[in-house]
Amino acid sequence: MDTRSTQLLKGTLDMCLLATIAQRPCYGYEMVQQLAQQGLDLVSEGSIYPLLSRLQHLGYIEGYLVASRDGPQRKYYRLQPEGVKQLERWQTEWEAFAQAVERILKGARSDEESRPAHTATDR
Amino acid sequence: MKRADQHIQQQIVDLIEACAGYWELRGIAREHITQMQLELEQHLQQAVSDGKSLEAVVGPNPAAFAEAWAREMRPRVFRSGARVLRGLVYALSVVSTSALLSQLLAHSPAFTFTLFAAYLLIGSGLLALLLQLGGFLAPRISARAGREALVLAGVVLAVLVLRLAGLTVNWSITLLSWSWPVSIVLLTLAVGLFSLDCWRTFHRVQASPASTSWPTLRAVTTFVASVGVFDVLLFVGSVAVFDFCRLALRLV
Repeated sequence: MDTRSTQLLKGTLDMCLLATIAQRPCYGYEMVQQLAQQGLDLVSEGSIYPLLSRLQHLGYIEGYLVASRDGPQRKYYRLQPEGVKQLERWQTEWEAFAQAVERILKGARSDEESRPAHTATDR
Repeated sequence: MKRADQHIQQQIVDLIEACAGYWELRGIAREHITQMQLELEQHLQQAVSDGKSLEAVVGPNPAAFAEAWAREMRPRVFRSGARVLRGLVYALSVVSTSALLSQLLAHSPAFTFTLFAAYLLIGSGLLALLLQLGGFLAPRISARAGREALVLAGVVLAVLVLRLAGLTVNWSITLLSWSWPVSIVLLTLAVGLFSLDCWRTFHRVQASPASTSWPTLRAVTTFVASVGVFDVLLFVGSVAVFDFCRLALRLV
């Protein structure tokens, strides 16, 4: 994964985690697997835990222990009503941001396509 | 293959112990540390069984990972006092028992606490902490012996640098001196503080779902045994070092 993708993921990882938990309650490793399935590979998988703790303290998610037959209890996370609202806010913010970036990129692309014609007339 | 598995399991245990020790020092509540350890261990186990490295989970700097998680757990400075209290209880127990023993064996009314004894106590406490935090090196240096050797080499190097810098110390200098009633007061204080710590631990264990009285009993036995061993080490160490110094002086 290149540095730009890493930086982008770093800035949006809390939102991605909240969206993953919104689909269904899950535990840490499950979240990493789901992110990887969507093409988002984390440089260090453990970096989700500080963020999960932050989301928990902010009241967006709740952690709870589930008894396991094969081993010790496992900590799952589920979305809280405040988390649902926050996810909606973040989604709106992200869509506006992504559209703005896309407009800029499209503008740059159309400039690039029209450039050879300009260079030809200059010569 | 089985041996390699054991090796990785040991690396996981050491890494989690280092993280737990660090979180305790940062003042995170014990019940949170237990959950964090559980989450981290399960993640590491699954990652390893999927063929990933420990570094893929905790990154190239496990200490930075532990610190990042600690910051989000709202640490409180006063909570790290629990570890300080345990260290104080240990130091008090060692000093008071060794004082009483030497006063009884030597029939001397006073006990002298030398700079060497203080150095041995503080040094071994710091060394135990460093060896535990050495688990942060587990993803890079897989063998525990290798990590311990590195920590010890670091300590020896630091001592050598101080020695080369011209630092000379009179190890037999008396820091404190007291009579046997003070030793008994110190021992009573140590027993009181240790009971308080045990009572706290016992209540925490009772509150947890899978509670047994064995961990507390084991902790008491381990504590008493380690104080005994340390007393012997302190005594033997003092005698050996002073005899060696005397011999060296005679030869010179």
